[in-house]
Amino acid sequence: MATKLWAIFLVLLCTLLTSTAQIIYKIGVKPFNIYLILLGIVIYLITAAILITALKGGELSVLYPIIATSYVWVSLFSPMFFPSDIMNPLKWVGVICIIIGISFIGFGSKMNASTEVV
Amino acid sequence: MATELWAIGLVVLGSFLGSLGPIYLKKSSKDFCLNPKKLIKNRNLIIGLIFYGIGTALFIPALRGGELSVLYPLVATTYVWVSLWSVKFLNERMNKYKWLGILIIIIGVTFIGIGSM
Repeated sequence: MATKLWAIFLVLLCTLLTSTAQIIYKIGVKPFNIYLILLGIVIYLITAAILITALKGGELSVLYPIIATSYVWVSLFSPMFFPSDIMNPLKWVGVICIIIGISFIGFGSKMNASTEVV
Repeated sequence: MATELWAIGLVVLGSFLGSLGPIYLKKSSKDFCLNPKKLIKNRNLIIGLIFYGIGTALFIPALRGGELSVLYPLVATTYVWVSLWSVKFLNERMNKYKWLGILIIIIGVTFIGIGSM
């Protein structure tokens, strides 16, 4: 089965939500804020439901690596809340590599789809 | 802080076991719906969540016990396992572009790990 575009978008949405949850969770740990931690957990659960729904629409070997995008979001957004987490050239190279890598996987997925016997 | 061997071991084990989670979650997706009664009966969902939980549980102490430049790329081997399992258990096909993509992702994660230190 070729991987559908909506499935890819759902997984990207998941990574955005997961990264948000990670940051919320980290904020809620020190000083301890039970509401933020619960919010983080709720977001994780919602993300899980969205992810499994997304898996209906495509190959795992294509959709799963997209989760690496969460490294991108956390790298970009974390410095806004935790000034000690600064963006630096090494992280930028990493972010670009992840985007390139995911693009190759998407391209490889199209190659597979074009040779599929329906 | 040097990276302790136990941390590496936990991450390697966590990646291997944790990678089975997504496989079962993919299998569970066919029968997945938000009806609580059906959710509990979805065996693949339960098994998938257990493997995923084991992987996460192994990662969390490990990531505090070592350098991210070493541990992050080891965590990223999960993508390799998932791709291998998906060929074996899910009838998916890999090709050189998909493998190249995974390699570049692992390199990218390594840079982020180094940059996070």
